[in-house]
Amino acid sequence: MNNVINVAWMYPDVLNLHGERGNAKAFEIVAKKMNVNLNIDRIDNIDEIIDFEKYDILLFNAGELKVINEISNILNNQIEKLKDYIESNKVILVTGTTGALFANKINRLDGTTFNGLNIFDMDVSERDMVIGDDLYFEFENMEIMGSQIQMIDINLKSVNPLGKIKYGYGNNGSNSEGAKYKNTIFTNELGPVLVKNPWMAEYLIELALKNKNIEYEKIKLDYELELKSLESTKEFINQKIIA
Amino acid sequence: MSGVATTLIKNSSMLGKFNKEFLVLEIDERSLRNIFKVLPAKNLCITNLQKDQVQRNGDPDFIYQMFKNAVNKDVTLFVNNEEPRSRSLEDYVGKTVYYSLEKNSKTFTKDDFYSVTMPCPKCNHKIEYEYYNIENIGKFKCSNCDYKSTDEPDVLITDIDFDNHTFKCDDNKYEVSYINPFYIYNYALTIAICKKFDIKFEDIQKGFSTFVNPANRRETYKYHGKTIRYLRIKQENPETLQNALDTVARDKTKKALWMGLYEIKDFPPAYTNTFYFFDCDFKKVVNDTVEKYVCFSKTVSYDTANRMLYAGADKDKISIYDVEDDFDKIFEELDKLETDNIYIITGMKPYKKIKLFLEKGDNNE
Repeated sequence: MNNVINVAWMYPDVLNLHGERGNAKAFEIVAKKMNVNLNIDRIDNIDEIIDFEKYDILLFNAGELKVINEISNILNNQIEKLKDYIESNKVILVTGTTGALFANKINRLDGTTFNGLNIFDMDVSERDMVIGDDLYFEFENMEIMGSQIQMIDINLKSVNPLGKIKYGYGNNGSNSEGAKYKNTIFTNELGPVLVKNPWMAEYLIELALKNKNIEYEKIKLDYELELKSLESTKEFINQKIIA
Repeated sequence: MSGVATTLIKNSSMLGKFNKEFLVLEIDERSLRNIFKVLPAKNLCITNLQKDQVQRNGDPDFIYQMFKNAVNKDVTLFVNNEEPRSRSLEDYVGKTVYYSLEKNSKTFTKDDFYSVTMPCPKCNHKIEYEYYNIENIGKFKCSNCDYKSTDEPDVLITDIDFDNHTFKCDDNKYEVSYINPFYIYNYALTIAICKKFDIKFEDIQKGFSTFVNPANRRETYKYHGKTIRYLRIKQENPETLQNALDTVARDKTKKALWMGLYEIKDFPPAYTNTFYFFDCDFKKVVNDTVEKYVCFSKTVSYDTANRMLYAGADKDKISIYDVEDDFDKIFEELDKLETDNIYIITGMKPYKKIKLFLEKGDNNE
């Protein structure tokens, strides 16, 4: 075992919708602040066999449903190793529509369906109208702020939601947001969610450190700018609610 | 739809006969299906199919499916040879006309670890670009299937001379007022359409010579002895923000940069989308020639400043103003700067107020 946290940035060009490369950069920057050695590998080829043993964090950014279908077919060929990875409490972050990849069944607008990886016990239906709005939720005592461009509705079955909504649409307009199974975490927030919420990146890195039995003495990091962004966005949301 | 009907009525006789030779309609991407049902055009031009107004258009494939379901084998499609997504609609039409630019002095490549491209519209694998002429538009090939831009397009612009505002196509030399790669792609499309309808070089050149863009997004002001170059972007659209950043980056002299990227209020509900910042390359404007970065807007000024930090900007060079429309405050540091060369980038929202503020300043001098 080494002292490096290895991140696999899954399919950066294919799962790339809304500036999500910022999430990979946020891992780099937050780890540096934490004095943690963190290495990021790009997995550019969707046909590549993943060395799940090597990685401590898998980053699946937001992508379109049509590519999710393709990736689901490919990863289903490695599903046992992926399940071992998940069951051993290793970390996965999934954002935006890519949540569908980890669902049971995905219903498309044209009447077709395809199967996800059955990691999260939930079903997904493509929407005929886009919902674009701020999304603000709470998870593990963290306030998470961002935006969602919602192309799907998500119906959670036995899987737990990731967080409780304070403002926004979330999974389907109810107050549940995202999904969580062990350390596989899905949020509907897309774009560089870890840039706006570096405390979430810190949390994920800490999970990976703990999982790898790497000792880490927590230090208080400076998030002055991001906290001011959070407060100004909360004020903006409050104005919307009042109006 | 009402705009199309009005256009037709205005250009028809009392007996309802259309009295022009050609009808050119610029159609909103979401309206294409409905307009095609009543006006089944035989010639369709798609300049690009990239992210825009994501709050209503969602992912590009959402719009792609609408296009795909609207066109048919009777259609001749005019497409940018170097834009992978719209180009791939070639599979659903009868004939495709490809227009293209030769590699030129503004062509660029990307080799940064964080550079990303897009999925192949045909097989979902990675698209690789040999070079770019504009952000996300350039010579490309799929890393998996045989999809690629052709080396033999129907219309190819060559010998681009940005200094003298000229280029060549089919041995004809064109002179134009506006010249950058974005405009040249549009000239290429125009030539492609004109070729199809036997419109000759002289007439095309006349059109180019007299063309005035009524919505030019660039203006220059004088304010307190400083030269202010105001670049407006289509808010939430990464391509226009990148173009503005590229313009600033091309200026190698000392400068300061004001950025007022506001919350998005195009459609209800208003929201604070800043994710498009990370589609853009801000590194290009992070260097020693920039004396000051000023980030202003009530809600997202902190996100703008953070984007500058992620691009490597010096924290001490960044000022943040979380106020709206208080331009005395926002521009309070202007007079203290050594540089006289100032850039402002904003969306449309504060434009009129900033314009008024700058013009008022002129009068006070």
